[in-house]
Amino acid sequence: MHEMSIAMNIVNIACKEAEKDGASSISNIELDVGKLSGIMIDSLQFCYDSVCKGTLAEDSTLSINELTALAKCKQCNDSFEIDAFMALCPNCESYEIEILQGRELKLRAVSVN
Amino acid sequence: MCDTCGCGADSTTFRKHGEDHHHHGDGHHHTHDHSHDHSHDRTLTVEQDILGENNLLAQHNRGYFEAKSIFAINLVSSPGSGKTTLLEKTLATLKNEIPSAVIEGDQQTMNDADRIAKTGIPVLQINTGNGCHLDAEMIHTAYGELKLEDNSTLFIENVGNLVCPALFDLGEDKRVVVISVTEGEDKPLKYPTMFDAADICIINKIDLLPYVQFDVEKCKEYALQVNHHLEFFEVSATTGEGMSGWYGWLKEMSKK
Repeated sequence: MHEMSIAMNIVNIACKEAEKDGASSISNIELDVGKLSGIMIDSLQFCYDSVCKGTLAEDSTLSINELTALAKCKQCNDSFEIDAFMALCPNCESYEIEILQGRELKLRAVSVN
Repeated sequence: MCDTCGCGADSTTFRKHGEDHHHHGDGHHHTHDHSHDHSHDRTLTVEQDILGENNLLAQHNRGYFEAKSIFAINLVSSPGSGKTTLLEKTLATLKNEIPSAVIEGDQQTMNDADRIAKTGIPVLQINTGNGCHLDAEMIHTAYGELKLEDNSTLFIENVGNLVCPALFDLGEDKRVVVISVTEGEDKPLKYPTMFDAADICIINKIDLLPYVQFDVEKCKEYALQVNHHLEFFEVSATTGEGMSGWYGWLKEMSKK
């Protein structure tokens, strides 16, 4: 249930940015979440709603950009999309791949007013 | 709750073996009371790593360990894989060769710290309360209490959980995932995030192989499919079988 920790970090970061800007409330928080980030989006949304209560982010929405996972084969250098850490190179069938994208867990922007 | 992890850290306690009282880590609060006159809707670009605060503290811990030539290991696994027994045997065997200290993480009880204390090695128990993992701030507080020796090895036994600890860097040099043969050999496929984040995989309780259906080669194959850098040690912490390879690795790493 680390989604609760993650939700708290998100709201903390967003509230600090909003306070710095002198905003009175947060209307939306935008995240980049990679497919291999280890986060369950439904669970994160659930935690987010409860963590926001009593903060500048109360009643705000959460927009999540789900990033696909991309890998490069270390044997044949082919680049391709993957669904999981365990993935075969579609070209040469090697498991020796390097993950290029998909582990992201980033707060991209905060909409305030 | 803690600013860094949030998972019930207000109830996190740090205790040395034999201490009845406990204390909490220091909380930090910063307020920004300046205000500007903005009345229009606007979007602030943030571009921050959500785990950035933990990662920063982890790097701070890493710098401290490096400055004192401390080799730090983060031991992770599901509950019951035998991490504490593995540590007890390791410490008892190597205590005259490698100066060590231990940080134990569990939701509740001093049981593991009490077991480790019997080996004579300095140990600190972190009880995370409702928390499901250790974080870099807890480790920072814990090593401050333990007063680590230069050129020593620090073993951190994480909370038994194959999911959450994967995301929280503690500042360790190496992450060791332990799996026992009483679990399923497909654990690496079911919990790939943890195996992806590990450097070493210890397959424990191999003395039970005749009694259980666990294919060691299959397990290794699955783990390598997730993370092809993994190195393996097949051991029984109870009988001592296979432990010499693990000891050899520790001795070599602790010299670096």
